[in-house]
Amino acid sequence: MTALLDVQGLSKNFDGLQVSADITLALHPGERCALIGPNGAGKTTFVNLVTGVLAPSSGTIRLAGQDVTRLSAQARVRLGLIRSFQVARLFRSMTVREHLELAVLERERKTFRLFASVRRTPGLADEVAGLLDGMGLVPVADTAVGALAYGQQRLLEIALALALKPKLLILDEPAAGVPHSESHRILDALDRLPADLAVLMIEHDMDLVFRFAKRIVVLAQGRLLCSGTAKEITADPRVREVYLGSRANAPH
Amino acid sequence: MSGRHMGAVAADQPPQVAARGPRLRRTLGGAAVPLLAAAGLAAFWLFPNDLGLMTRIAATALYVLSLDLVLGFGGIATLGQAAMFGTGAYAAGIAAVHLVSDPLVLLAVGGLAGGLVALVTGALILHARGLTLLMLTIAVVQIVQEVVNKARDLTGGSDGLSGIEPSPLFGLFRFDMFGRTSYLFALAVLLVGVLVARRIVRSPFGLACRGVKEDPLRVAALGGSPRRYLVTLYAVAGVFAGVAGALTAVTSGIVGLDSVSFSWSAEALVMLVLGGAGRLVGAIIGTVAFMTIHHVMAAIDPFHWMLFIGLFLMGTVLFLPGGIASLADRFIKGNRA
Repeated sequence: MTALLDVQGLSKNFDGLQVSADITLALHPGERCALIGPNGAGKTTFVNLVTGVLAPSSGTIRLAGQDVTRLSAQARVRLGLIRSFQVARLFRSMTVREHLELAVLERERKTFRLFASVRRTPGLADEVAGLLDGMGLVPVADTAVGALAYGQQRLLEIALALALKPKLLILDEPAAGVPHSESHRILDALDRLPADLAVLMIEHDMDLVFRFAKRIVVLAQGRLLCSGTAKEITADPRVREVYLGSRANAPH
Repeated sequence: MSGRHMGAVAADQPPQVAARGPRLRRTLGGAAVPLLAAAGLAAFWLFPNDLGLMTRIAATALYVLSLDLVLGFGGIATLGQAAMFGTGAYAAGIAAVHLVSDPLVLLAVGGLAGGLVALVTGALILHARGLTLLMLTIAVVQIVQEVVNKARDLTGGSDGLSGIEPSPLFGLFRFDMFGRTSYLFALAVLLVGVLVARRIVRSPFGLACRGVKEDPLRVAALGGSPRRYLVTLYAVAGVFAGVAGALTAVTSGIVGLDSVSFSWSAEALVMLVLGGAGRLVGAIIGTVAFMTIHHVMAAIDPFHWMLFIGLFLMGTVLFLPGGIASLADRFIKGNRA
């Protein structure tokens, strides 16, 4: 079986400064993978390269066998490469339901229907209801996002990504800013993600990483340091080394 | 602990608020067009001597509505909406003088011309945002005005274009000297315009435009193309502005250079802010308020009427930042408490 995401020798230089160096990584359908690394390891750059926000200096990115290295970010979204944002980026005056309606309509490319009715689009209401239910957002469906609690905004971020029917979902710190006492709600939501979906999570919260990911990839100074199960990663002396001093709660 | 508690309250309260707010607003929104029609017809009986002014108000309201589509729903900052209004007016006027006289055909000609100008200029300038875009829209309206001014043979230049004599509406209703047909025609076109605009605002396209207004990059991350939405919206609004211009030309019989001026663009903005941007009824309320005050004050004090308009605008912006139409929101909120 070919990998869903196949990254080969990906590098990125900013004015001679190499922020990503020769990263090779493959992700298969259904895989739950976490990308970790100390601050400045190049995690965000890697996400931006894969999603098409930045163009790589060298290397290739394939999605389900198709070379997407030169495709725009939007074209990649349409191929099923979806990301959620580290800081919830939502339309503050729009309701939760309107967000999901827009995402589904975008996916189905129905947004240039000028004289159709959103509310009477066949199948839309049912699909949105399913997404709301899946993330426990039914009670706030008609609330403007500006009035939502932060944790609920994070859940909406995930629901928005799911509304686009991703093949590969990149979650950029899905629990960032959520109080520790509430992060289980995010994790519960992540547990219910479709089984065949490949997920790459960038996260600092090690509890979340260990509970969610079957495989952990460690990035340090723009390079792939190692990759393995939680047990292998925690036992690896190189991982201890890069985290020592930079993080108090290093993987243990 | 207290922070969490607050969060829980914030999370629990909005649903109840939301359950009633939108429903009441939708009911009010549904009543808007019948109310508008009733008010327009009542005015027809009440002020038979002011039909000329009221016709201009109706046509202008459609023009301000077009600005509301681009600014209120798309977030496009523009001071050049008169480029589309004026092009529509001149296109209809020239067609009336040389080619056809059917009023509905003339409106179609105006709408087409306005839409075309908006599509072409929009595709050229809508990559810019904010102040840069504002400057570019001003440049467009100035260029169009200069082109119209130079094409004297067709447009009459600074003398204006006259001799627009539309044939009877549907071949039945003559445009009488009292302006009855003109007013009812303008009112009907405005109502149709509001209905069509409302349909667009509530369409998938309208939803996408609201998204672009708030965060174009987020729309792109959903797979959409913000610029294509904006250019399309600009062109659609250009059709509205063009029809409004044609309506003015058909009902007044003349078109002047001021119809394609920077100041006419700015006046539309003033009327929209007065009424409340981002809601269709705000465009109409703002136009009626502005032009009525203008008319009354100019009659009382021909030299200082602008001062009153200015004071009124400042009062609105200070005490009713959402425009006159936001009074309805206060009513809904007050009702809830």
